[in-house]
Order: sequence, then C-alpha cells, then structure tokens
Amino acid sequence: MCDHLTINKGYGVHKLRLKFPGDESLLFRDCHFQYEKGEKILFLGPSGCGKSTLLQVLAGLIPHAVDVPMKAEQVVVPESTAMVFQDPDSQFCMTHVDEEIAFVLENLQIPREEMPAQIKKFLSAVGLHLEDVQTSIHKLSGGMKQRLAIASAMALQPEVLFLDEPTALLDSEGTNQVWETIRQLPEDQTLLIVEHKIEQMLDVVDRIVLFRPDGTILADGKKEEVLANYQEQLREYGIWYPGIWEDRLIDCSEVPITNQADSPLLALRDFQVLHSGNVKLHVSHADLYKGEWIAVMGKNGAGKSTMLQGIRQLLKTKGTLLYQGSPIKRGDLQEIGFVFQNPELQFVASTVKDEVAYSVRQALKNPSEEEIDQVVRERLERFALWEHHHKHPYQLSVGQKRRLSVCATIHERHQILLLDEPTFGLDAQNTFSLLDWLEQFSQSGTTIVMVTHSEEIADHYADRVWWIEEGRLQKVSSNGVDGKELADGGNRERDVASSSKS
Amino acid sequence: MEGIAKETWLHRVNPSIKLLLSLGVLISLLFIHNLNVMLLLTIVIIICFAFGTGVSRKIALLFFLPFFLLFCSSVLTMALYGKGSTFWWEWGIFRVSEESFYRGVHLGFRALTFGLIGLIFVCTTHPVRLFYSLMQQLRFPPKFAYSFMASIRLLPIIWDEFQTIRMAHQVRGFSPGKGWKGFKSKLSAYAVPLLAQSIRRAYRIAVAMEAKRFKGNQKRTYYYQLSIGKWDFLFLLFLLGITGIVWIGSEWIQLLPNQDVRLV
Amino acid sequence: MKKGLKLTDILVTIVISLVFGVIYKLWSPVYSAVKPIGLHVDQLLYGMWFLAGPLAFLIIRKPGVALLAETAASSGELLMGSEWGLSTLIYGLIQGLLAELILALFRYKKANVLVVSLAAIASCAGSIVFDYFQGYIDALVWWNLGLFFIARFVGSVLIAGVIAYGLAKALEKTGVTGLVRGSTEEDVRSLDD
Repeated sequence: MCDHLTINKGYGVHKLRLKFPGDESLLFRDCHFQYEKGEKILFLGPSGCGKSTLLQVLAGLIPHAVDVPMKAEQVVVPESTAMVFQDPDSQFCMTHVDEEIAFVLENLQIPREEMPAQIKKFLSAVGLHLEDVQTSIHKLSGGMKQRLAIASAMALQPEVLFLDEPTALLDSEGTNQVWETIRQLPEDQTLLIVEHKIEQMLDVVDRIVLFRPDGTILADGKKEEVLANYQEQLREYGIWYPGIWEDRLIDCSEVPITNQADSPLLALRDFQVLHSGNVKLHVSHADLYKGEWIAVMGKNGAGKSTMLQGIRQLLKTKGTLLYQGSPIKRGDLQEIGFVFQNPELQFVASTVKDEVAYSVRQALKNPSEEEIDQVVRERLERFALWEHHHKHPYQLSVGQKRRLSVCATIHERHQILLLDEPTFGLDAQNTFSLLDWLEQFSQSGTTIVMVTHSEEIADHYADRVWWIEEGRLQKVSSNGVDGKELADGGNRERDVASSSKS
Repeated sequence: MEGIAKETWLHRVNPSIKLLLSLGVLISLLFIHNLNVMLLLTIVIIICFAFGTGVSRKIALLFFLPFFLLFCSSVLTMALYGKGSTFWWEWGIFRVSEESFYRGVHLGFRALTFGLIGLIFVCTTHPVRLFYSLMQQLRFPPKFAYSFMASIRLLPIIWDEFQTIRMAHQVRGFSPGKGWKGFKSKLSAYAVPLLAQSIRRAYRIAVAMEAKRFKGNQKRTYYYQLSIGKWDFLFLLFLLGITGIVWIGSEWIQLLPNQDVRLV
Repeated sequence: MKKGLKLTDILVTIVISLVFGVIYKLWSPVYSAVKPIGLHVDQLLYGMWFLAGPLAFLIIRKPGVALLAETAASSGELLMGSEWGLSTLIYGLIQGLLAELILALFRYKKANVLVVSLAAIASCAGSIVFDYFQGYIDALVWWNLGLFFIARFVGSVLIAGVIAYGLAKALEKTGVTGLVRGSTEEDVRSLDD
C-alpha cells in the first residue's frame, strides 16, 4: 500500500482490522477511510455489512466504550464527537427532557445557573417547543425523541456529528421531522450518516460511500455519481431509494376488490376495548370480509395495537364481536393468528426449527414426528430460513426474525391473520419479501388485518384502510374509492390520504 | 413513586439524611423487646404513614394490604411453632403458648414498622433527587447513580414487554404445566426474553452515555443542587420527639403484658 | 480480565437487578401467603431473593457484580414499596457480600453450577444471621428450627443455584451475553491472520 494513503489531513482510519468475538472471519480487513471537516457523508450498504461498526470506530466508541477486537495502523478521531443512535428508547438515561440535556451539560461541567437557558436553546434549535421542559420522555413520539437525541448531541458542540440510522424506527412523519432538524443545523457542521431510508434525506449529503456485503468499499464519491452508477446495487442491497415503489410494482397486478356481498367474516358493533377499566378503543361499526386485506393506520398511541388485541380477545372487550355470524367463542380464537411487533417477545423455543415445530404440533391432530419434521422443513424453506434451522431465534438478523415470527404463527386453520407493524424497521428487501409472503396467504383466502405506518403498503397491498384516531375508528376508506366518514364524529375536513392511487 | 403523593414536609427533607436517619431508626428497633413500647411505636408510625406522606387513602390501603398479610403470617408462624411454657392450646404439632403468642405479635409489629418506615421513605422521596443527593452529600459514585436512574427509566418499558409476552403465550397456547418443571420453564419463558431485551437495551444506553462524554470519574456540575437545611434539622427533632413520646407513653399505657418477649 | 467494572457492566447489572427487584417485591405476598401453612414450606421459596447475585455473575463474570446485583435488586425492591422496608437493603448487602466472597474464593474463574450453589448457600447463611437478630428464630422449637434451616438451604440451592445456572445458559444461547463478555486476547490475536 502506498504511503500517501495514510491520514495526513482530516480524520479517518488506515488499515483497520476488526472482528466480532466468536465470528469466523474479519468484518474489516485493512479498511481505509478518510474525510475532512465540513463534509456531509452518507454510508450505504446491505444490512450487516459493518457500516454502523465503522461509524463507531470513526467516532472513537470502539474500542473505548464498546469492547470489540480491532487494530489499525492509524486512527484519527475528532476532538469532539457526538452520536445519535437508531433506537429512540435506548439512548436516554434520564426520565425528563430537561434532565437529559442537563446530563450532557453536567458532563461538560457547565455551571448550574447557565443550564436552564442552554437547555431552552438546544431544544428550540431542534424545534422541540415544549410548554414545560420537564416533560416525561416516555410521552414523546418517536420523531420527538430522536430530535431530543439530536439536541443532546448538539449540546456537546461536536466537530463531527454521527447519525446511525436515526430514522429506521420512525414513521414517515417522524422521519421528515428528523431530516428537517438536520437541515437547520449550521452550514459547516460535519455529518457522517448511516441510513437505509434515503428518499427524504438525499439533499442533506454530498458524498456517498457504498459498501459491499463483505464490508469492503464498492464506491466512494459524489452523491450524484454514486446514485447514477450503482442503481442496481441499491436495489440489491435493500436500500429504500427514491422511486423504489414504482420499480417494484411494475409487474404487480391490480389488487382484486373482494366481493362484499357475502356476509362478513367478522363484524364489530359498538365494540369497545378496555385496558385497566378504561375504554381505550371504540369501534361503532365495522365489517371484515373473507380474503380482504385491511391496513390499520393512525398516529402512535391512537389505539391501533389495542384494536388488534381486542379482536383477538387479549384485552377485555364490551359490545358485539360476531365471527361468522355468531358471537365469538373461545374455540374460534384458534382460527385467528397474531404476529406481534417485536418478534423476540413471541418466541417460545430455543431453536428456529423447534419454534415452528411448536406451532405445527398444535395445529395438526396427533402428528407423527416425521410428519412434523416434514411440515417444518417445508415451511422454513418457503420462508428461506431452512439454512438457519439450528440457530437460536435471537441469533437471526432482524429481517429473519420477522420472517420467523410470521412463519411460526401462520397455519392452515387460520381464517384471519392480525399483524402489528410487521415491516417496522426492515430494509427494502426484507419488507418486500415479507409482503410477498403475505400476498400469497391473502390470495389463498386468508384475511389480513395489518397495522402499518406505510402509506405505500396501504395503497398497493390493502383493499381497505381503517383509520384510527384518538381511540376511535374514525374512517374506513376503500382503495380507489373516496373514504367514507363514519357517522360518529369523524373529522370531515380531513383529506383522504389513501384514496389517491399512484 | 412519582405522582401518587401530594407533597408534604417530609418530601423536603434531604434524601440522604432521611435515608441515614431511617436506617438508624431501623437498627434501634432491633433492640426493642418490650411489647408495649412496640405497640405504641407501631401506632405512631401508622399515623405518620397515613398523614405524613400525602398518599391518597385508596393507594395507602392498596400498599398496606400486603403489609398486613406479612403481619398476620409473622404472628401465626411464631405463635404456632415458638417455644414457651404456659400453653393455651395444643393440637398435634401446633402448640400455642402465651410466650410464643406475644413474641409472634411483637414480631408482627416489628415487620410492620420495618415495612412502613421503608414505605414512608419511598413515598416521600423522588428517585432522581435521591441519587442526586447521594452523589452530592454522600459522594456516591456517579457511574452507579446514573446507572440506577437510567435503569429506573426502563422499568415501565420492561413492564410493557412483560404484558406482551403474556399475550403472546396466550396466543400461542403456551402452558408450561405444574410442579418444579413447570415452574422452571415458566420462569425462563418470561425471564429469558425480558433479560435479553434488557441487557441489550442497557448496553446500548451505556454506550450512548459514554458517547455523551460521561466518564465515571470526571468532575461534574449538578442540575439539581441538594443541600442540608432546616427541614433536616426538623426531621431529626421529629424523630427524637417520637422516641420521647413512645418512651414516656409506654409507661402509662400498658394494654399488653409488660414483659421481655425474648427467651428467658 | 481488565480491572474494575465498565459503565456497560454496571448498567447491565443494575437493569437486570431492578427487574429482579420487581420480582422480589411480587414474591413477598406469595411467601407470606404460604408461610402459615407451616412446616416451613415457605422457606423453600426464600431462595428467590438470592437469585440476582449469582445470575448477574454468570452473565457478566466480573468481580463485584454479584454484590452490586444483590444490593441493587434489594434497592429496587425497596423502591417498589417492599413489605420488608429498609431492612431489605441490609439483607441485600449481606447476601451480596457473602455470595461475592465465595466467587472470590474461586478467583472468579469458575462459573459452574457448583460454585453458584455455594454462593447461594453463603447468601442464605447471611440471611439467617440477620434473621437471628430480628426474627427471634432461636425461639422456635428444635425440630421446627431444623426444618427451617433445611428448607431454606435447599430452596436456595434450587433457585439461586440451579435455576440461576439454567437461566444463564438459556441466555447464552440467545447470544446477548456476548455483548458484555467482551473480547479475549485470542480474538485480538486472530486479527493478524
């Protein structure tokens, strides 16, 4: 390697070698990366290629805070750095908004008298105008939490701000808020960003570094050049690039509208879901027909998950819930599948194979061991998980876990499948493969009710959208047809977002 | 315990002082062996709990219920199985003697006062103020103090996850069965996912804290300044006052046999 | 093994412990309800209150973790409004110290079911000493006292020894323990391959 490649200007690493404990091979072998003050850089690549790890090395978190075996000929870390992490719920250590920023100020030994003014300053810089700064962080939406994370990062007055997939777990509104905030930062702020969802943020960066699955750098250059020359890779690596939905849906046929003349499979009449004695959700009138695909949409905390849990009788309910024309009975519940948002919380076995076998055992009547083995294998192969059948479910990647949670839940007796944000936080590739599986089930007659934040999914996959607002089912809209307001107090001025089909 | 109690003067006592003095009271309770002193003290502490903490009556009763259960079980155990010579009642292995009965009652009172003192402390102390005070007054290492505060923040999230696991078990028809094996598999079916999530989350938070330039040993300023003042002095006087009342009062009011409940 | 506990170690230990603090609190009514049955069936359950220390050690495997875990768990129990009040802090401290002592005797090198069972027994012994001061347990009739000891020790070994070990093994399979175990010299050497 030539000498001129070592870092003499700006920051970076030279000849980085890094490996996770217990892994067979190196994640990075003699990786070189260099950047200068004022640059705004985006790291792109498939899940697991090591971009976030490289970010932590560049920020100096590895090896000081995070114990990962690494060595490099040269590492130049900026004097002051700050990082915003992916998960809004695991980067704060205090309970209230003001205390969280104060924590940073305390670390910098800012005198106590100056703290209230500084807290106000940093909060307003990210557009968090709270009536009372002593607001519980628990009550903020995901987008607000991430803006708080940016505020506390900026309180460090960092030379370089690192952002590690800051919008991966946000809906599109929250994502917009985060990038809008980043745009408001000072012009000369150096930014290093890892991101999968790039539609809303491309204007923020000027340089793109594209990684191969093995952690080597495939391309590093001006934003426009990389985007133009590596379209194929963006698609292959599961990145949410602009225009991905148009690309994906070229060969997707129009969703057939189901025949609603039949009697409903599930009928909700003055249906209420209770949580510790209080009514958390009210549905005055709704029907669900066989083979339908319903998208349930609405803000965080509006009651979408509560509704699914109510239908599955996991929470106390009042009112009428008719299944195939008669009040729902315990036995009927076996025909309703439920996929939880966090797959890990629903796993009951310690290998992928046992996880599916557990469900198969319950679905079949007195199955023989060979029979179980065969069904399990068929299913795992169908979900492209067979090669991992001996692993612990927790050892799978995020996308694989999600596939397993669906694979282990679904069985032939299910008439209805309830899913709570099954594509939440997934990259494009995993999202589309999961949607394709669900489409297959839908085609074979399974009714799907799915909570989602994605308008594209609602537009392109669902037959109808149920809109939940403040604990009420406010509106039902059919795709292609204008939304029908429900009689009980729907907001008439609201535009029908889902009715405009692309 | 935020939000369930109105603020009283006990809230204004410095948390570290309150903790140390309460621990002092606790230790001295171990040296009380006279039933009448104990009875009076229990009454005084119940009054403090009911009127000094600002907790609503409904919540106070809710808290009190398990305490009462503990009281009853403490009394019963010692009464039924304790040593003694003046027997009141005998049936099989159970022998209730006068001595064991009163010793049981004494133990019940002691358990009750132990619990209530702790509860008074918890109800009148905000955790964040407690840890800030521990750092400032008792030189408690910030590394530990902030770890505690971060962990307390996670408890509601962990509780939600627990509820989800319960639902998931219901949906998937998970029933671990009875007996030792059932207990074991039920415990691990809950504990493994909860612990795995918590470990991962705690680890990430720790990394985020270090990214915010938190070092365990650095000098730091404090957003909440806690100091020692008049309320702490008042609290000390209050405790001394209680001691006096109980001491003198037990000479006059003797509802129960006036004897040492220990073995003679 | 590096000296001292890192922030990640401390935070992970305390979070685990606070989860157990909640479990400890919920365990008290169960214990109280079983207690009057007699024959010290309740004492079989007592071992639950020793679980945090050995388990945290099995997960993190560093000096000081067992003591921190048991103390933190008892603080958590206190914050939840424990029936035992502040005395739970003293119990936690004694139980943690004694468990830590056993682990130190093995120089923190052994993490098998035998060692954690011994640590559980040590915690148990510590709790009995404090019970002696506050619970007049010497005033129980002899056969009852014997039963009391046996039940509490057996319960400790079963819950804080065997179950703690089982839980730690199950957690290892999930892979999360790798986060806190850190890298070995062997890992660092393998970078040169």
